[in-house]
Amino acid sequence: MLKLENYKNVFAAAGLVGVLLIASPTLGWFVHLPGGEKFSELWILGPGHMAEDYPFNVRSNESYMVYVGIGNHMGSSAYYVLYVKLRNQTEPLPNSTDNAPSPVAPLYEYRVFVQDEKSQEFPFAFAFPEVSSSENQSVVKSLNINGVPFGVGKLALWDPENRGYYYQLFFELWIYKPEQSTLQFHNRYVGLWLNMTC
Amino acid sequence: MNWPFRNITKTALTFYVALMLVGLVTCGPLHASTSDEASSRITNADDALKLAFKRVLDAEEAGANVSSLTSDLDEAGESLAEAEVAYRNGNLTGAAGLADRCSALAGTVSVEALALKDSALADSQRAFWSTFIFSAVGASALVAALILSWFWFKRAHARKLLGMKCEVASDAEA
Repeated sequence: MLKLENYKNVFAAAGLVGVLLIASPTLGWFVHLPGGEKFSELWILGPGHMAEDYPFNVRSNESYMVYVGIGNHMGSSAYYVLYVKLRNQTEPLPNSTDNAPSPVAPLYEYRVFVQDEKSQEFPFAFAFPEVSSSENQSVVKSLNINGVPFGVGKLALWDPENRGYYYQLFFELWIYKPEQSTLQFHNRYVGLWLNMTC
Repeated sequence: MNWPFRNITKTALTFYVALMLVGLVTCGPLHASTSDEASSRITNADDALKLAFKRVLDAEEAGANVSSLTSDLDEAGESLAEAEVAYRNGNLTGAAGLADRCSALAGTVSVEALALKDSALADSQRAFWSTFIFSAVGASALVAALILSWFWFKRAHARKLLGMKCEVASDAEA
């Protein structure tokens, strides 16, 4: 048979557990468990909303369509700016190591607000109305994005290894940091290689 | 023979130079001011959008449901993006108009976010106090019940001990 002192300990332990259980909703207001990893997603899908049929061999005056998506897992709503840029093979891409964006000037942009654990996808239609090629070079004079014309004047040299004039349309993701009140490159980008040979 | 023609050319040249000077004096600053104006309206819209976003974040942190405000912010963001694109393409009037639209939308969102934050804070305070009262009353009742049952148990235990008979075991044969 247990001694009275032992029964006292059992009563005290049961009381403590009970009080903690009853007080847990209130404790929840003060104790915040650390959340998971914070990150953002950026993707391009083909015209059928699938990761296939991406435009590659492009011709002037034909219209192409892809979908660009952003997913937010930052723990709160986020303000993203997505810059659309066009480069040739010699112009630099963003530098992931230095967290530096590409120096190529943006042509088009999206400004989107995504709630935590949600995503947004938007259509991106493009066409090259004016392309000229002579000898070993091709020049994209203008580019239409979502129906808006842009003067580009981008030159690409013939790539003998891959047999084509290559351009890359890429999307850079920037995020607004409210603590610093600045828009920062979010070190994420996706791109489409385009062969202007045809 | 060439004198009259030379005079006409000279007059025409003077006229063109004067016209160019007048053009430079009047149209130059006019164009610059339009460009500056469009640029400053875009900057204002950008600031308004950032402020609106901060207020929406505050409201979200206070526990408000901000999904409708986020879609309004999206609309304002779309206008600002279009304004930036129009400005880059040289459409200054269009850019200024779109920037103004963004500022107006962002202003509305800011006001709504402030109101939503206040109501969310009041709701949250009410919820906290009701939880706290539930916890305090529940914990006190539990402690009181445990103390009472402890006294009851102690008494029952003592009674049980007192009711026990001493038994002496002996291995001696009867």
